[in-house]
Amino acid sequence: MQIALAGNPNTGKTSLFNILTGSYEYVGNWSGVTVEKKVGVLKKKDGTLTDLPGIYTLIPLTADEEVATHCLLHDDYSLILNIVDASQLERNLYLTLQLLEFGKPILMGLNMLDVAKSYGLAVNINKLSRLLNIPIIPIIARTGHGCADLTRQFKQVQSQEASPFHLDYGWVLEQTITKLSRRLPEQLTPPKRWLCLQFLEGNKLVGKLLEKYIPAKELQELLTETEEKIKQYEKAKSIAQHIRLKRMQYIDQLASTCLSKEKEVTITFSDRLDAVVTHKFWGIPIFLAFMFLMFKFTFDWFGTPLSDVLDAFFSGPLTDGLTFLFDRVGASDFIKAVILNGIVSGVGGVLVFVPQIFMLFFLISFIEDSGYMARVALVMDRIMEKMGLNGKTFIPMIIGFGCNVPGVMAARTIEQPKERLLTILLTPLMSCSARLSVYSLFVGTFFVKNQALIVLSLYVLGIVVAMILAKVFSSTLFKQEGDSIFVIELPPYRIPQWKTLSRSTWEKGKGFVRKAGTFIFGGSVAIWLLSYAGPTGINVDMDKSFLALIGGWIAPLFAPIGFGTWQASAALLTGFLAKEVVVSTMNIIYAAPDADSLKSLISGYFSPLAAYSFMVFILLYVPCLATVAVIYKETASRKWTWFSVIYALVIAYMISLIIYQGGRWLGF
Amino acid sequence: MFLSLSQLRPGKLARIVQINSINAMVERRLCDFGVMEGTIIQLKRTLPFGGPLAIVTKGQSIGIRRAVASKILVECI
Repeated sequence: MQIALAGNPNTGKTSLFNILTGSYEYVGNWSGVTVEKKVGVLKKKDGTLTDLPGIYTLIPLTADEEVATHCLLHDDYSLILNIVDASQLERNLYLTLQLLEFGKPILMGLNMLDVAKSYGLAVNINKLSRLLNIPIIPIIARTGHGCADLTRQFKQVQSQEASPFHLDYGWVLEQTITKLSRRLPEQLTPPKRWLCLQFLEGNKLVGKLLEKYIPAKELQELLTETEEKIKQYEKAKSIAQHIRLKRMQYIDQLASTCLSKEKEVTITFSDRLDAVVTHKFWGIPIFLAFMFLMFKFTFDWFGTPLSDVLDAFFSGPLTDGLTFLFDRVGASDFIKAVILNGIVSGVGGVLVFVPQIFMLFFLISFIEDSGYMARVALVMDRIMEKMGLNGKTFIPMIIGFGCNVPGVMAARTIEQPKERLLTILLTPLMSCSARLSVYSLFVGTFFVKNQALIVLSLYVLGIVVAMILAKVFSSTLFKQEGDSIFVIELPPYRIPQWKTLSRSTWEKGKGFVRKAGTFIFGGSVAIWLLSYAGPTGINVDMDKSFLALIGGWIAPLFAPIGFGTWQASAALLTGFLAKEVVVSTMNIIYAAPDADSLKSLISGYFSPLAAYSFMVFILLYVPCLATVAVIYKETASRKWTWFSVIYALVIAYMISLIIYQGGRWLGF
Repeated sequence: MFLSLSQLRPGKLARIVQINSINAMVERRLCDFGVMEGTIIQLKRTLPFGGPLAIVTKGQSIGIRRAVASKILVECI
């Protein structure tokens, strides 16, 4: 049994998917959280469930919608599970009608009845079910209420022979449909009528399918002829509009019999909150204050104190215990050195930042789950418009604060191809959690008093550079390509549940911990070996090691920006793998037993100004390996991937140069 | 009396009379939200410095740009 989940954006498909398959996919409260197709196995192991990005109609406008439509058209499945938001019944039913015409067995999960109730709306489920001739189960996807009833229906519904739903579109269209159908072969899935309708409505994917049977020129002629007639006899602007009106008429009828307004609700909770956070003048200051609080929590109030405890554990009990153990079993000096100087320093040096990173992820999850995300997009749109982008591009950027990889993918929901590409190219400038570990190390050494402020300045710098570059790129590289557009749905606010918050925090943070166990572990061993061996043999003085040799070779390049040492260069080189590796490398190179002694060692090599310049360089210099890979996947262009690496290097060097030389000139 | 959506007073209900040449993608998206000729909408608030507008229709809040709103003609009801 294969089931496909289909429905409007932000109706709770992924929440339901997680419950039915026991998965932990990414959920949030805005349109376009899911941008990929995800397949999971049902808990009873009797079938698979495919989660799809949300769509309003079967005619895709954005890249994520194309994923969904493509899957519904071409993949093999026996049942569509249509999730409907009861508080937006009319809009959701528009998709349901198209799915019904498609002719596959359908089961409807009616979600968010509680939201509908808060608007004073009540749905007569039995009546709606009878009129649409499909089973409807009320559910609450966030809590899992009603999901058992839903699963019970799967087997029964998919075995029923569904007869495609038939709506009369008026004689003009019906004539064309009959004409077209005659030219198509008898046994065709999806149903011929559906194919004809979608073609007439302008579905390009279906158009291609029909060209297999009917010459493109003939199709085009038929289209023009029908459009003329529609304008003449039905007084509609276009075929698509006529079809939409017919469907909406039918939905209005449905709504008038099945939907009742119990009481008039004029001001909702969301309205009251919106009056504050999207306030004329307070909107942007509130957003900035929220960001500042985020860093206060992450550094001063919560993250750093815990991180110090962790560091004390790694450098104290853990190292002592391991040393004791090695002495007892009589391990060789080499093994001891690999583990203590390589792995414990390298991996432990990164793991101490877990508290900060989890705190940050927790706060990002809060923004994602509350519904604030779309408001930030709204508040920022005017500024983004001036930069040649739109407010929606801010969503991938905020996600990028956690990790650039999902940030780049989130750009799929941006309608305008030019704006999407720009967002993909600029999201890597958002300071991700991996970079946070480097900042933590440096601000803890050089800027103890103003940790949160200095880190905030780096985040803001990332945003400012991204905006300036957006302006530069859109007025040079993309000058000719279309206007900037912005339409966004502002979902009702939800109070985030602890369960969801802790789960999304863990799902994001897990990646960081896992990276420490794999990538950084391997990287640490390799870096340690490079620092242990040199042209003259093994166990050499570190200054004569291979690492020093490689680092020393490029070090002069970095002298003008304040850190022309082989150590800094080696750390930057390895940082391309993952930015945390910079910290691992420094721990190994400076052979520091714990963070405190590393800090005092580093302060011998960097001046505070050079340290700031170094952090700026780390922020901007290149997207990490994983991000480069996802940029290539999303743009499908070698040219743009190279571009994303090279422009970042150039900009990083320029800005660090200005900061370092300018700072020195000012006397820092 | 017709006026453009961007001139509407916040909180007032109005019916869309005409949507003039706006970007095809925006028009498509607005259609998806059910915003078309004949739809009853309300302007919730406008953001400063020529920023976007928040409108409400059929229980959903939508953000659109002022330039688009100025091409949407409405009549007060």
